[in-house]
Amino acid sequence: MHEFSIATDVAAAVAEFAEEHPDEKVSRVHLQIGELTCVGAEQLSFCYNAIIAESPLAGSELKVEITRAHVECRHCKYEGKPHYWDSGLAALTPTLQCPKCGQAAEAIAGHECAIRSIQFSPARLQTA
Amino acid sequence: MLTKIEASPAETYDIELEHSLLEANAKIAKTNRELLDKHGAAAIDFMGAIGSGKTTLITRLVEKLKPRLGVAVFNGDATTTTDADAIAQQGVPVVQISTVNGCHLDANLVTKALAKIPLKKTALIFIENVGNLICPAEFPLGSKARVVVISVTEGPYMVKKHPHMFLGADLVVINKIDLAETMGVRVVDLMSDLHTLKPGLRVFPTSCKTGEGVDEVATALLAN
Repeated sequence: MHEFSIATDVAAAVAEFAEEHPDEKVSRVHLQIGELTCVGAEQLSFCYNAIIAESPLAGSELKVEITRAHVECRHCKYEGKPHYWDSGLAALTPTLQCPKCGQAAEAIAGHECAIRSIQFSPARLQTA
Repeated sequence: MLTKIEASPAETYDIELEHSLLEANAKIAKTNRELLDKHGAAAIDFMGAIGSGKTTLITRLVEKLKPRLGVAVFNGDATTTTDADAIAQQGVPVVQISTVNGCHLDANLVTKALAKIPLKKTALIFIENVGNLICPAEFPLGSKARVVVISVTEGPYMVKKHPHMFLGADLVVINKIDLAETMGVRVVDLMSDLHTLKPGLRVFPTSCKTGEGVDEVATALLAN
């Protein structure tokens, strides 16, 4: 359950940025997770919501975007989408087999696990 | 007096940033690697399910390699010292890394373990990760090679069920091949799945019980 430790890091990083914007509230956090990582989007959101429940970040939404892998083949110079396992697996499973020549390809994208943006909106309660 | 103000979509704004979440571990892993390089040492990370034979494989490798070079072992385990105790009988430095509830080792734990062994006298460190086929994949430790150990007793679908773990592997060991027939598992099918996922991946069928294939693993690791 490594999603919990990643969600803890997300909450800590967002809280740090939020401190620089005391008059606003964090409404949405946008994460990008590469499909070559073993990070589960659903579990990550669940953990994030549990962690922020009683913090100043409560109510913020974690939006997880899965980014596709990109491979490069040094044998035939192919560059692009990976070959996906085609023997009827339930989950879309990228491989490191070159879609063009079938030899070993290298992943040049797909291992991302990063916060891409934080959305702020004005705090709802203000003293007049 | 309190006034309630509702934010309209036009009032919200986004701050773009690139804050990598696995960066902190990756940086420490790099420092570990630099420390090892400085001492002319290398680490090899063994990952795999509980009961796949990681400890037995490491024990066999230590037996074979300790007369030739300085060997040390780090054992990651959630609760017990069973594996560390078994390997300590080989008379080489062994560090038990208790992760308590942690499902994987991280680079920081390895930094602490590196401080416990005589690095100057060490050429090769075997790091046994916590028995888990998912979580360790995202946490590099600073090792020169990552080995995944699977066994035929885990059934015929190990590779298809945990593809991510093998994408990052430098070498895969298929253990307990002496039981393949009894289990009705074909080693060639597992190898074929591995090569569908990662063509050219080096795969070694072994039986750590009979010793079959262990020499080949040792040779491949030394050549790495």
